[in-house]
Amino acid sequence: MKRDNKFSKKNLRILKEIAISDFKVRYQNSILGYVWTLFKPLMLFAVLYVVFSIFMRFPVDNYQLYLLLGIIIWNFFAEATAIALRSFETKRSLVTKIYFPRIIVVLASTLTSFMTFVLNIVVFFIFLAFSQINFDISFFFFLIYVIELYFIILGVSLALSSLYIKFRDLSHIWEVLLQIGFWMTPIIYPVSMIPQAYHRFIYMNPLARIIEYSRVVFIDGYVPAMSLNFVVIGMSFSIFIIGLLIFNKLESFIPENI
Amino acid sequence: MNDAMIKLGSVNKIFSVPHERRNTLKESLINFHRRLKYEDFYALKNIDLEVKQGEFVGIIGKNGSGKSTLLKVMANIYKPTSGNVYVNGSLSPFLELGVGFNGDLTARENVYLNGVILGLSYEEINEKYKAIVDFAELEDFMEMKLKNFSSGMQVRLAFSVAIQVDVDIYLCDEVLAVGDLSFQKKCLNVFGNLKKSGKTIVYVSHDMDSIKEFCDKTAFVENGEIKMFGKTDESIQKYLQTI
Repeated sequence: MKRDNKFSKKNLRILKEIAISDFKVRYQNSILGYVWTLFKPLMLFAVLYVVFSIFMRFPVDNYQLYLLLGIIIWNFFAEATAIALRSFETKRSLVTKIYFPRIIVVLASTLTSFMTFVLNIVVFFIFLAFSQINFDISFFFFLIYVIELYFIILGVSLALSSLYIKFRDLSHIWEVLLQIGFWMTPIIYPVSMIPQAYHRFIYMNPLARIIEYSRVVFIDGYVPAMSLNFVVIGMSFSIFIIGLLIFNKLESFIPENI
Repeated sequence: MNDAMIKLGSVNKIFSVPHERRNTLKESLINFHRRLKYEDFYALKNIDLEVKQGEFVGIIGKNGSGKSTLLKVMANIYKPTSGNVYVNGSLSPFLELGVGFNGDLTARENVYLNGVILGLSYEEINEKYKAIVDFAELEDFMEMKLKNFSSGMQVRLAFSVAIQVDVDIYLCDEVLAVGDLSFQKKCLNVFGNLKKSGKTIVYVSHDMDSIKEFCDKTAFVENGEIKMFGKTDESIQKYLQTI
């Protein structure tokens, strides 16, 4: 059969339409609507801020910005992958009734989460505007980290969503792994509190790097060394490629097995 | 007029049906020393089929005989286990009406969502929007959420969008099973017009009257095999003998 272009105009329209209508539906049924997208991470932020800044007195300057940025980035990863994992199950009626490149389902799901992330980042900027920090040209470097982050999320989501068709308990396993990940990633604590010997393990986690470097860009006001950025690019590209390979291998079995 | 639009060459579709369901990692780990026993179920067995341009082809058979699987293979939703599938031209599957419909969106938003999924552009939908609403006779309800529609209203809306899609090949699976009589009549008219304008249509139905009325040729499917593909009357007769 003739293979069509995965990213033809028509397919991009489908992607856009699914992503936007899912975003509308995800929040419009609750009374507070879009406010919920902001409320969830802010609640978590408030609790952790009280515990770690006021009770335990972590010695970090601008801890509220430090913590909020970490939570927002982690939340994007956790929510996007957890929702994408089930994306074929939720889109069963679509996938079994009409043909379009299956990758669109995962792309749409992660893009919907990306829209939530953008709203959250706006809140971060509001916090930033009220802080002592002045605008710096290095802020723009954050965009590069966002792109790297998105490719990590996409790679993980592609792998999870297709593997989930074979192993239905992957959703529980992933939930547990995310919880472990939350504490193993320097989100609430600074890396400097961890004994030096463990640093190399921490930095094997690309999310730890993205969170750290984003903080440097916004709070410390300079851009981390380029070589460090190349490490992140390498990691995110590898994760994306591995995810894509797994997905391509399992793709054709999705419609008949969900 | 004699180009093959759809050509299936010795197509097999095998579903591996496990004797026991082992769908979780735990089950796979605990039982890993015992190979899972699978049974091969031939949903389609050695299918050869050619549909030429402008033909209206019917597919009949009992429930579970493989009619829908056949359409899904044509529509590229299922990949055949072996054999070739050749499709020449654009294709729109009406395997189910209202693909992608979302009850929490308004009817208007759903027209756009469904239209885009079926391959229309935004400009085309804007242009045809009035025709869609008129055909569905739902002018007063378009800002209502779809979940508040009756199932008949949903099908009317879905059918109205689906017929706006201009493609070479239409695959229809039981699309007329719902809707009231007057709407069914309207739909049959649409089919008549599609046929007149030289479109290629593959039509699965249990309604022998509409099969008789429209189909130039009909395939009778039983247990995943095409038992007969030829004149509609003869295929229907053969099918009725097996009941």
